[in-house]
Amino acid sequence: MTSVKTLVSSIAYACLLASSVSSVVLAAECSGTIRVLAQPRDGLTLLENYKDEFAKLSGGASFEIDYLNENDRRAKTKADASTIGKYNVYYIDEANVALFASAGWIAPLMDYYPAEYDYADFDPGRQKVATYDGKAWFAPLTGGGDLLVYRKDLLEAAGIKPPTTLDEMKDAVKKLHQPDKGIYGIALRGQRGSGANVWRWMPYFKGFGGEWFDGNEPKFNSEAAVKATETYLELFKYSAPGTQTGGWDESVGAFTSGQVAMLVESTPLVGMAIDPKSSQVAGKVGYLPPPTPLTGGGYGHGLAIGTKANADEASKACAGLFIAWATSKENEQRRLEANQFSELNRTSIMTSETFAKLYGPDLGQALADTGKVTAVNFWQSPLWPDLGDRWGIILEELIAGSRTDIKDGLAELEGFAKDLVARSQ
Amino acid sequence: MTSRTRLPTIFLAPPLLILAALAFVPTAYAVYISFRNRELSRPDGSFVGLANYIDLFSDRRFVNAVGVSLTWELVTVTLTLLVAVALGILLFEFASARQRAVLTLVFLVPVILPRVSAAFVWKFAFHPLYGIVTYPYKAITGQPLDLLSNPATALMTVALVDVWQWGLFFAVIVLKLLETLPPQPFEAARLDHARPWEIYLYVALPMLKAPLISLTFIKMIESLRAFDLIYVMTRGGPGITTETLDMYAFSQGFIESGRISYASGMAVLMMLATTVIFTVIWKRVKP
Repeated sequence: MTSVKTLVSSIAYACLLASSVSSVVLAAECSGTIRVLAQPRDGLTLLENYKDEFAKLSGGASFEIDYLNENDRRAKTKADASTIGKYNVYYIDEANVALFASAGWIAPLMDYYPAEYDYADFDPGRQKVATYDGKAWFAPLTGGGDLLVYRKDLLEAAGIKPPTTLDEMKDAVKKLHQPDKGIYGIALRGQRGSGANVWRWMPYFKGFGGEWFDGNEPKFNSEAAVKATETYLELFKYSAPGTQTGGWDESVGAFTSGQVAMLVESTPLVGMAIDPKSSQVAGKVGYLPPPTPLTGGGYGHGLAIGTKANADEASKACAGLFIAWATSKENEQRRLEANQFSELNRTSIMTSETFAKLYGPDLGQALADTGKVTAVNFWQSPLWPDLGDRWGIILEELIAGSRTDIKDGLAELEGFAKDLVARSQ
Repeated sequence: MTSRTRLPTIFLAPPLLILAALAFVPTAYAVYISFRNRELSRPDGSFVGLANYIDLFSDRRFVNAVGVSLTWELVTVTLTLLVAVALGILLFEFASARQRAVLTLVFLVPVILPRVSAAFVWKFAFHPLYGIVTYPYKAITGQPLDLLSNPATALMTVALVDVWQWGLFFAVIVLKLLETLPPQPFEAARLDHARPWEIYLYVALPMLKAPLISLTFIKMIESLRAFDLIYVMTRGGPGITTETLDMYAFSQGFIESGRISYASGMAVLMMLATTVIFTVIWKRVKP
């Protein structure tokens, strides 16, 4: 018995010693400033209030976050990672994770992510989009799918049932469109970009059975793409002014300022629409999964470890520790308490009592339902941003009316795709 | 004696060397890289000769960008100069010394404002739903006015902001130039019963030919660098209607493709075209 006790206590001492040694090593190695290039997120702003906590945890390291909006963040991270590599941590997303991973600009996260931070607790959909080539590359800061968000008051007044199919949605949009009263049927994204107009167009394309590629052979120049584009352009007739060249901000702004009847948008919209601080329509909002056959655009944004700025293993470990801490349960709980709905990614948080109390059972149900139709709509390839952005420009031309032939646009994209694939080989 | 004559060389050589390195090293590298097929995502790359340049001429976006850049130059330079001269003369003719001092200060504000800030302010002002500029139109007609989403008006709307920044600034310069002119030719013209507009057209402006040409060149060079303004206000859209050469090169290099060799090809062509065109114009109009 005594020997067992001695064994247990020696193991415990050994563990204690090991952990204190590792924290000493960590403390010695994690000094200086971890530089992060990100896009503005309430969760990250909140995180900056807890710099002291991270300093204590890491043994003296600090962090600095530079913010750029989405398109600029994408361009700058690409430029930085491929050249000087000034940033230790990059904010990346589902659309460019393949590019960053295959180019070797980021390190596999799990090699440097302390196990006690429980990566498996992240929403499975978000883990899926953070994975490329069988490895997880970022820890999610935001993500989700799509929801149809509508104005309950307007639909009730017009005697319209919340739409569950695309045809019903089209009818409802047309009926509710009253520009002379300052109400527009829908808000879509017209601004060029794989993460902008193309992102909102893809649910139609995939919903109508479209496919991007079969191996290296482009398959997207199809009936599904034509029909998706026709539908998108038809709906654009009822889209709020400013959205023709606008992105997420313009669509969401038009809805939360009370000028749009309904829209299919990424799930964080709900958090903004029901918050009286950011929405003039709080209390009048309903949500449903996207109407059939639209698929939800599964997405995830998060933090990854840069390889250039973290030349040695120790700095990669520090960056990994920062990412783990920034996306930890404790920090996510703080975001929940600060009512930052769109910054929540952990199953344990989203199924917590506090969540249910704050957002009610309807939202939980809608999120669960939309999870079933959430899909990876884009082409999972390092070449995707290039192809998606090119289609974004053609699509914006079609929306703006400076080009009218959809088939011609798709043929141009097909030529571009073949050239792109050939160049990559 | 020798040391005295060498002194300027000793002082001038280091800064000139630094300047030469800063100017020529990136230029030489851009030329070198434009003959290769280097992409950001791949560290390798091979020599491809003139392939990038040949591809450019069959690229509809490049051809479009050349047209947009030329239109942009023409519109912004002409309008800026017209606004500057007209406002400068109006101030000189009608404003009292105190009014001139106040207006000069006001006219200087737009150009002091950082370009990106100005672009954001105006982008919001032109917003079809909340914009202050478009509000009267919406109030009168009941229809929103979306100038930045319309391919026919987007470029001109952005140009307006450029002219607002530089036209007013140049107006102050024109005013100050007019104030430096000797009064005798004006008096002589008045004695000959010249009308006010004739005095300015035939007497004052010819006397200001040299500085006005310099201002034109400054504005031409400045207009070539309107990237920030266009990028914030339209991102080259709708479609590609406001995509200038520098914007397209940046798109190809960093936003979309990471094709830095292709983008460098564009930059080299831009540099050559600018050098040739500016030299020719300079020689022709040299006062």
